[in-house]
Amino acid sequence: MVSFSRYFLRLFFLVSLLSVFTFKSVLAAAPTAKDPADDLHSWYVHVLELVRHTATYTPPVASRAFAYLGVTAWEATASGDDHLKSLAGQLNGLTELPKREPGKVYDETVVMNAALEDAVKNFFWNTGPTGQRAYAAVSKRLDGEATAGKAADVIERSKAYGQSIADHILGWSKDDGGAVIENMGFPLEYTLTKGPAHWVPTSPIRQQQMPMLPGWGKNRTFAMPDGAACPLPAPPEYSEDKDSAFYKQADEVYQTTKKLTDEQKTIARFWSDDPMLTPTPAGHWVSIILQIMERDRLSVDKSAEVLARTGIAVADAFIGCWQVKFQYDLVRPITYIKRVIDPKWEAMLITPPFPEYPSGHSSESGAAAQVLTSAFGDSFSFDDATHEREGLKPRHFASFWAAAEEAGISRLYGGIHFRAAIEQGLEQGRCVGKHAIALEMRK
Amino acid sequence: MSRGSVFNTTLLAALISTSTLETSLAEEAAPTIPAFAEETKTSGISSVYKGEWQYMVGGGAAVFDCNGDEYPDVLLAGGENKAAFYRNESKRGGELKFAAEQSGLELDKVTGGYPLDVDGDGITDVVLLRVGENIIMRGKGECKFERANAAWGFDGGDGWSAAFAATWEKGAEWPTFAVGNYINREEEYSPWGSCTDNWLHRQLSNTDKKFAPPLTLKPSFCPLSMLFTDWNRSGTPSLRVSNDREYYEGGQEQMWHVEPGQTPALYTDKEGWKRLRIWGMGIASTDVNGDGFPDYFLTSMADSKMQVLKDAKAEKLSPDYADIAWPTGVTAQRPYTGGEVKPSTGWHAQFEDVNNDGLADLFVAKGNVSAMPDFAQRDPNNLLIQGPAGKFTESGDKAGVASFAQSRGAALADFNLDGLMDLVVVNRNESAQIWRNVSTNAGKFVNVKLAEPGANRDAIGAWIEVRTGDKTQLREITVGGGHAGGQLVWRHFGLGPEGKAEVRVLWPDGEQGDWQSVDAGGYYVLERGKSPFATEIK
Repeated sequence: MVSFSRYFLRLFFLVSLLSVFTFKSVLAAAPTAKDPADDLHSWYVHVLELVRHTATYTPPVASRAFAYLGVTAWEATASGDDHLKSLAGQLNGLTELPKREPGKVYDETVVMNAALEDAVKNFFWNTGPTGQRAYAAVSKRLDGEATAGKAADVIERSKAYGQSIADHILGWSKDDGGAVIENMGFPLEYTLTKGPAHWVPTSPIRQQQMPMLPGWGKNRTFAMPDGAACPLPAPPEYSEDKDSAFYKQADEVYQTTKKLTDEQKTIARFWSDDPMLTPTPAGHWVSIILQIMERDRLSVDKSAEVLARTGIAVADAFIGCWQVKFQYDLVRPITYIKRVIDPKWEAMLITPPFPEYPSGHSSESGAAAQVLTSAFGDSFSFDDATHEREGLKPRHFASFWAAAEEAGISRLYGGIHFRAAIEQGLEQGRCVGKHAIALEMRK
Repeated sequence: MSRGSVFNTTLLAALISTSTLETSLAEEAAPTIPAFAEETKTSGISSVYKGEWQYMVGGGAAVFDCNGDEYPDVLLAGGENKAAFYRNESKRGGELKFAAEQSGLELDKVTGGYPLDVDGDGITDVVLLRVGENIIMRGKGECKFERANAAWGFDGGDGWSAAFAATWEKGAEWPTFAVGNYINREEEYSPWGSCTDNWLHRQLSNTDKKFAPPLTLKPSFCPLSMLFTDWNRSGTPSLRVSNDREYYEGGQEQMWHVEPGQTPALYTDKEGWKRLRIWGMGIASTDVNGDGFPDYFLTSMADSKMQVLKDAKAEKLSPDYADIAWPTGVTAQRPYTGGEVKPSTGWHAQFEDVNNDGLADLFVAKGNVSAMPDFAQRDPNNLLIQGPAGKFTESGDKAGVASFAQSRGAALADFNLDGLMDLVVVNRNESAQIWRNVSTNAGKFVNVKLAEPGANRDAIGAWIEVRTGDKTQLREITVGGGHAGGQLVWRHFGLGPEGKAEVRVLWPDGEQGDWQSVDAGGYYVLERGKSPFATEIK
């Protein structure tokens, strides 16, 4: 049993930290014993804030961090449980991790906390002064809680081990192609593909006259063989002919967005998941997992497994998606509709600064839904309160695929994607997710 | 055809272009580049805006004449240091000279200051924004000030205040203040989303020359600049609020209806207000495009914004703005010198005509928030010179004001009363800097100030028009905007080669004065119903 004062310290901390959860739910979730799952949860809540507030953390970059953090948490957990299996040798380039000293005592909470403390510091080294200040406060609090009342040698050994896991993962991450983000992901030089079918800048923001992260599709993947492992068919052939499939899909966006219902507007906003204003699309799915973790009091091994598989899946989805985006380099609806249908048309959402096909949110949502359905089942319902503090009410979903499909269609309502990009994006995600599901994590 | 209409035609073409967003403004002759000489070391100014997290924003400069010699004196925020007051001892046209002096304004935890005559006694008072209690300092004359919170019923609160604006609502004998408050500074683990309430301080009653307890302006989204401005020339200013997206959740830029006697209400999307989310840090305003309405330059991280009404000719104006920062050349999105290509961080912004060609130029103070590695560390201040077709040209380095310090607040003002706008800049954890405008190629000028009997002595809310030939300059007289500091000084108008100009005032109550002739080089006091009074400058 935790002491009375510690209980309230923890309660206070959770109320401060867990932005998406109500006081009532925190109260219900207050732990009766120190559980590494609580540290895992707390660090991830903090990471969602850092993703929002670190300038380089565009959606692909955020997904990469979620993959590495998930693997870090998994290896910290699996190394202390004989029933669990390391991902070394299964993930591309991940070599055998440091071993624990046989016969020595480790504290699992201290290991988890040290691993994530180190990993978060490594992956968010470039966050701003407020992020650094918050990180220091969270580290101090969680470290104090994890180590209170424990033997000094156990603490020292456990911390060192956790840090060695994080350092190994960091070393692995450095040559994946995504470690260095210059100019927030926008190249200083880039030659646009000529022709009306291809992407052109859609924003008056100077930095965004180049497409974001054009080389991301060449990054090393995690579970799938490479960025081209889940290819997609070509999008409808570009045409300005009113009878063409291309025109018809553009007209669908145009007609739909001209008469959006309140519900459609809500859906578009709910899944907008803008970088630097939200935890990004990948963070949205992580937020869903954190809410389920809290609601269902998931064990640390289940939590770490789901976070790792989902992180890997969404990271691979963004790599695969970017590979296809720059393969076809398709024009955005805002450009086509203004050019061909209605020069005065405006989309509800701000069009992201990169090619259209497929939809990144659809690809990564499909991948996440595939993994989470595998972990929890086809008809696993949940409420999603990710954006409650921004004034968007929680939404209820009957299944993960229901959520993924809504995330996909939200991009059509928002006027930033054609239907083919959404449908094929979800299909690509399904393919990507299968690679993450195939990982052997239990003996 | 006026410049404004040419500009709008080309602007429209730029805005509806979907193939590229290349600039479409006509090429024009290179503007006259002013010359500035830094005189910090010899000026007597040596002030540091010091502090870490709680002082990463703020650092304003307040400029006003408090001893009646017409030369602008200076108050610089000090953060953890005490604010520093400097009496202006410059001679006309000479080097900039200041003397640090105990004025009563030397308080700690000051983030910024705005001068205005609160009680209408003809002596300038100063509102000090602080991390902690905000304080009104009543001017006693001869640059001495005393605390007036209790006497004037002003509840200074206990916030992290970083934005301020003031107006005299119609019929009021007392000003209305808007105070913008930033993050909950006690929130350690998750300060994001902890924006604290903004306040509206109004007169207690028609007969009480005191402030009522403040109203809260909810929702509040961590503003770093506020401005009462009559955006649609309705006669009633609205309150523009520029908010820092880093800290709000569900927020955006805001504009409030502030109608006398009524609860403030936000402009809505149904009224045409469009959602814009930036790292709002400073507001500068002038009529850039000649449509007769104020335009707004908003500083941010990376691209700044320049907002003009989309349809200034509409029968019923809608607060729907186009961003013309790019086609006019004022995005100021990254350093233009010094070798860094990472995005910039903009703070104070101010329109003034620094080369006296009759066109408003734009200064932007730049500096990294603290140590944000994804933004430029060596981030030079901008001096953007406007050309006749409305396009601005970066000239900070050529003019000599491209400081790489972590700048915050600033003020362009004619410190030595030679008709050229000088510059003072507050830097975080480094000394403030001051430059004298030593241009030899500038045009002529006229400086004016407004004087009214009654409560609103400086005619805040008035409009001044200055006409030379077929060109008319328009200026709204406001208290607010910029970043954490304001100016209550001579209003400066460049005249180009013209030896004379006509000036007209639209007074705050709507009465329009007559066009009256003034001579270039003059310093005129404009009073209602009277001829311009030329002040002799010593």
